Amino acid sequence: MSQVTDTITEPELDAGVEVSAAVIGRSPWELFWRRFRKDRVALLGVAFIVILVLLAITAPLIARFVVHHGPNEINQDLTNEIGLPAVGPSGNYWFGVDTLGRDVFVRTIYGARTSLTVAFFATGIAVTIGIIMGTLAGFFGGWVDTGVSRAIDIVLSLPILLLAIGIAAACSITATGCLGGLIQPGISLVVGIIALFSWPYIGRIVRGQVLSIREKEFIEASRSLGFTNSGIMFREILPNLAAPVIVYTTLIIPNNILFEAALSFLGVGIPPTTPSWGRMIAEAASGQLYTVAWWMLLFPGVALVFTTLAFNLVGDGLRDALDPRMGG
Amino acid sequence: METLKRSSRVLAVVGVLAIVATACGGGGEEQASPSGPSTKGGTYRTAIEDFGFTNGFDPTGEYLGTAWGLYSDLISRTLVTYKHIEGVPGDEIVPDIAESWETSADGLTWTFHLKSGVMFGPPLDRAVTSKDIAYAFQRINTKSLIAQYGNYYAGVIEGLTGDAKSPSTPISGISTPDDSTIVFTLTKPTGDFLFRAAMPATAPIPEEVGKCFTKAGDYGRFVISSGPYMIDGEDALDTSSCKAMEPLSGFDPDKFMVFVRNPNYDAATDSPDVRSANLDGVVISIDTNTDDIFNKIQSGDLDGSWASLPPKTLEQQYLTNPDLKDNFHINSGDRTWYITMNLLVPPFDDVNVRKAVNFVIDKTALQKAWGGPAHGEIATSVEPPEVLPETADYDPYPSPNHEGDVQAAQDAMKQSKYDSNGDGKCDADVCSDVLLVSRNIPPWTDMNPVLSEDLAKIGINVKIRELETSTAYTTIQTLDNLIPIAANAGWGKDYADPYGFDFFIFNSAGIACSGQVNYSELGMTKDQATECGPKVLAAWNAATDNGKTPLPSVDKKMDECYGLLDEARATCWTELDTSLMEEAVPWVPYLWATVFTVTADSVTHWEFDQFSGALSFAHIAVNNGLDPTSVPVG
Repeated sequence: MSQVTDTITEPELDAGVEVSAAVIGRSPWELFWRRFRKDRVALLGVAFIVILVLLAITAPLIARFVVHHGPNEINQDLTNEIGLPAVGPSGNYWFGVDTLGRDVFVRTIYGARTSLTVAFFATGIAVTIGIIMGTLAGFFGGWVDTGVSRAIDIVLSLPILLLAIGIAAACSITATGCLGGLIQPGISLVVGIIALFSWPYIGRIVRGQVLSIREKEFIEASRSLGFTNSGIMFREILPNLAAPVIVYTTLIIPNNILFEAALSFLGVGIPPTTPSWGRMIAEAASGQLYTVAWWMLLFPGVALVFTTLAFNLVGDGLRDALDPRMGG
Repeated sequence: METLKRSSRVLAVVGVLAIVATACGGGGEEQASPSGPSTKGGTYRTAIEDFGFTNGFDPTGEYLGTAWGLYSDLISRTLVTYKHIEGVPGDEIVPDIAESWETSADGLTWTFHLKSGVMFGPPLDRAVTSKDIAYAFQRINTKSLIAQYGNYYAGVIEGLTGDAKSPSTPISGISTPDDSTIVFTLTKPTGDFLFRAAMPATAPIPEEVGKCFTKAGDYGRFVISSGPYMIDGEDALDTSSCKAMEPLSGFDPDKFMVFVRNPNYDAATDSPDVRSANLDGVVISIDTNTDDIFNKIQSGDLDGSWASLPPKTLEQQYLTNPDLKDNFHINSGDRTWYITMNLLVPPFDDVNVRKAVNFVIDKTALQKAWGGPAHGEIATSVEPPEVLPETADYDPYPSPNHEGDVQAAQDAMKQSKYDSNGDGKCDADVCSDVLLVSRNIPPWTDMNPVLSEDLAKIGINVKIRELETSTAYTTIQTLDNLIPIAANAGWGKDYADPYGFDFFIFNSAGIACSGQVNYSELGMTKDQATECGPKVLAAWNAATDNGKTPLPSVDKKMDECYGLLDEARATCWTELDTSLMEEAVPWVPYLWATVFTVTADSVTHWEFDQFSGALSFAHIAVNNGLDPTSVPVG
């Protein structure tokens, strides 16, 4: 009897026949990496993100040792008598100063910290909730599915920006915020709001994936082997969700970065002492300040655009590489 | 009054004040006005982001400064009024509906003799009588109409308590022996009574219309004119019954306000010194975009601003371009912008902390956020110089160039119980995450980081809450919120006497559980604290050691100054200001703001109304020849 092995051995060939290179079995991850590596644009995106993350992490060091200005260091000498910025991009101030004489370059890289922190945490929470809800809905069906699906529908139909403004405004009035101190204006509130409105996207996708995986044969096989529901969920279903979840997570991140920028632009959520690209853009736009200080608008604006673009490119690249059937 | 509120000033003390105020008042840099011959006719078109009326334009309770300008310049004549011009002469009381008046020897009876021929606008077509003026006071006396500055009259005029259930209830201290005489009997001699008789709530209101509106704010859309102008559509009002009355078409609170001439106005009963009435009308549109308002002025679609702050980029142009010299005007605002500290909330319950805050704040930076010296002088004490010139130079917390003295601040902090290790910085838990309420628009957006940095120097770490203007005010006006410190507020004189500045903000009578303006809770009593709930009572107990060390109060001193006149009065108020700044320390005043108005070339004559703190609709002139009803609005 022939042995069933994992590797495919070369068949015996007549001498003289050229043998092509060995066909080696590759894991899905190897396949993914080979495809991804070929996507130049996505790699550029990854490079940008890596640089951005490094800048964000080392921002305090850069502020202290490289440019010698903090992000909130006010310098009234650098503004004119009526408070307009008097110093543009120059030797000491690579991106110029704002209306309080603060270094725009340092504020831009600190803004990266805000944007990335909010985006990662909000997305992380949203994805976690989305996976849990989507898996439960898809796997159990019935009223669980109904409940989760309706919840998704409701959240998706809410006017996001209006609600966000409303919640942030309502919880700003008292010292302790809402829910006895649980909801306070600041980064945590922004993260919470973004997560609240993002989880349905992942939830719906996960639910769809689970519904299709659930019907596959290997699930039936596991069941007949005696696996419990949770065993099946954790060992069979979740690993198969990895690919779509990774893709959509990466694609949601730029949305969340823009959402945070929009909330900061409207002055809702991020405290004024924390640099944020959205807020910097709002400050540059108020009173058409950019007509006399273009640098206040350009640098945070470009940073926002490029960061969003980078994540979008990486997400597209991931989608193309992980499952060429998915995106086309 | 809240900033943008106005007051008028009696020149009773003016002899000394006139000389001193001219020298010290408002930075002195008034701009030369376009001074060609005043053209008659045309319409002044302006815009504002939000009317911001505090009582829906109902004169009985309306406390907004710019609204007072609309009343006094355009549609509401009072017993006495002002000349609606700039500077100290603009605070001088002159006759309006009353042509003369006498006071009894004991100062308790004031008798006014009314002119004949002062008419209400159509459709009323009848003369204003003393009974119409009495009716206005009866409305002030009515509880449901919430007279926001009713305390100037309640307890002052006999029988006026503010508790009447209906405006038809007569007041015992006001009598109208005939249509042209009105007599007030007071409970105590009141030196500044004429100022109070010039405030818009006392303007005559016809009972046949007024009786239909007994809820605060409702009458605001039906105001019947007694002045040279009226709200467009007033003549179309159906007065046959209350139900038949529709809001005047010329006033939509969300969109516009249009004033046209009152055909019944007889200029012979008025004086051109008081109201030139050059314009054919005024059109005010709502435009939430400040930049857009100023763009329209430059393009000629609007004739000038009203109460909007021009963006700095635009201001830069106006200040540096000589061709634009005649297009902007800087006038003294008679208002103080300040930071208020709540005596009930730690760490501000400790006077040493409050003094430290006064030392550490960089006022020059705050002034710069406003736009530099063109926007006003740095305030070093409570009263604006026009209100009390004696304290114009008084600075109990000096620092080089007003940039703050960190050393002095830390020295003050060392005396506080909240600095246990004597390093000049607060190290108690109450100094971290201190809530600071502010506004979310310029210049506050540039001020807030400065405040944050400055307070950190004495160890107070603030959490800044940037709120909309009206929300910020409501938040600090609600006692239960116990807001520790706030930077959103400004306060303008109600009339040019310190009583008209200090009363509501520092007297304990100004304390209420909501809608109050004594934000520091100066002089709060246990009863007042109990009335506002357990949270406030607990804070009061903590701050006063269960009543053993009462809160600082200036009530007694104010009573002392109340009946005085002339120099004795000025001295008394100076002592009060000193006591406020050095003993009670409820505020950090930082700016005596100017008012910055921009006009287009169509304005041929400019005037500023010191009473309202805005442009004088009574005297300006334009040459655009427009008819007010033809200007597109909405």
